[in-house]
Amino acid sequence: MKLFSATNIKKSFGDNTVLQDISIDIEKGEVVSIIGPSGSGKTTFLRCAAMLETPDSGRLVYDGVCGFDDTLQISKSDLRTAKSKFGMVFQSFNLFPHFSVLRNLIDAPCCVQKRSKEELAAEALELLGKMGLAGKEHFYPCELSGGQQQRVAIARALMCSPEILFFDEPTSALDPELTLEILKVIRALAAEHMTMVIVTHELEFAKEVSDRIIFMADGVIVEEGNAKKLIDEPENERTRAFISGFRK
Amino acid sequence: MEYLFLSAVSGERLVSMTGKILEGLGVSAVIFVLTLLFALPLGFVVAAGRMSKRRPVRWFFQLFISVMRGTPLMLQLFIWYFCPYYLFDISLSDLAIFGIEYRYSAVIIGFSLNYAAYFSEIYRAGIESIPRGQYEAAQVLGYSGSQTFFRIILPQVIKRIIPPVTNEVITLVKDTSLAFSLSVLEMFTVAKQIASAETTMMPFIIAGVFYYIFNFLVAGVMSFIEKRLAYYKG
Repeated sequence: MKLFSATNIKKSFGDNTVLQDISIDIEKGEVVSIIGPSGSGKTTFLRCAAMLETPDSGRLVYDGVCGFDDTLQISKSDLRTAKSKFGMVFQSFNLFPHFSVLRNLIDAPCCVQKRSKEELAAEALELLGKMGLAGKEHFYPCELSGGQQQRVAIARALMCSPEILFFDEPTSALDPELTLEILKVIRALAAEHMTMVIVTHELEFAKEVSDRIIFMADGVIVEEGNAKKLIDEPENERTRAFISGFRK
Repeated sequence: MEYLFLSAVSGERLVSMTGKILEGLGVSAVIFVLTLLFALPLGFVVAAGRMSKRRPVRWFFQLFISVMRGTPLMLQLFIWYFCPYYLFDISLSDLAIFGIEYRYSAVIIGFSLNYAAYFSEIYRAGIESIPRGQYEAAQVLGYSGSQTFFRIILPQVIKRIIPPVTNEVITLVKDTSLAFSLSVLEMFTVAKQIASAETTMMPFIIAGVFYYIFNFLVAGVMSFIEKRLAYYKG
């Protein structure tokens, strides 16, 4: 079952064409990593998917609900439904610094989805426990390490019960030791069949956790396919050069 | 020197002088409180206009801020005071708002608009200093525009703008003495009247001490608010 579909997405900033006709389908339960050199358009694609950028043209469908189509006017209710289908984890966490960990987790579902605070708090505490953050619910983001903050950010995204999670370089702001904490959480989510799209530079991790890897360069998909095969036996010359460059 | 400062002022006169100056302080405090009451929220309206996507709106508020900051407050007070007469031929001696002489209203209008302009630029700096990621996280989590502003952005802005707002508020305490130009009986006006009538510097010394105490309390309150908001960094 197709959970997310991007069709013919194009995006330019001024004269700079960042995405040239990108089409990606994500199946339910699938983990897809997007890799590629800096400036390849992978983050821009993810930001378009998360509706943080508006594509110049193309179509974005979330679990059967169209969230963007340059030829159509999307109704507000469809837009709201489409937005409720995904969550996003940012490279720089973007936790709300004035909220405690618990409030970071429950504020959005409480005031957007109008769910009860008590029910949400119980759910949040359970989730924090699973994330290895038990007892941290009353801490403020500034009192946590980078790895802990990113785990809170993942938990915050999960609290809104998204169908699909987008990760924008979730470990790039972390040192190697803290990176492992995040990779462990993502691995656990993959084991629970959470549908995820991960923009990452962690090639070995992408290979291990993903079902499929997409290699992008200069705004186009150069190669995509089975994660292990793409990393170990890339077919395209550019993919090979990128991967071997990383391994040096 | 000694004669002017102390010898000429008996204990009885000192008490009566201080009493009158305290009455003036009451008026200064009213100007201060009313100005903050109007200027603090009005500053947000001006900041919103200054950041508007509509160019004519933005230009209007840019011009407003520029004029308010670029001309003396005393001159603005005169303009607000005399404009009903020169523009609408209304006699100033008969004019009263809520039963209060117009000169008091002119002072509040003048101070509020002038301080709203200064506050608006502090608010704008505060709002623009909030990282883009905060808005993006709120958007992805489904917050509406107003929820994002009131729940996520504004509390962080308030924490960031407390120090510059404190500066302005302290300046306001001292600026209330400009109401002297419209013969409003605030503390400085009263002190000057007594000093002229009794040929002594003492009223100025007393007024100076009261201004200092006033600001000491204001700074204390602002520092308390700052500490209350220090529970997080960022």
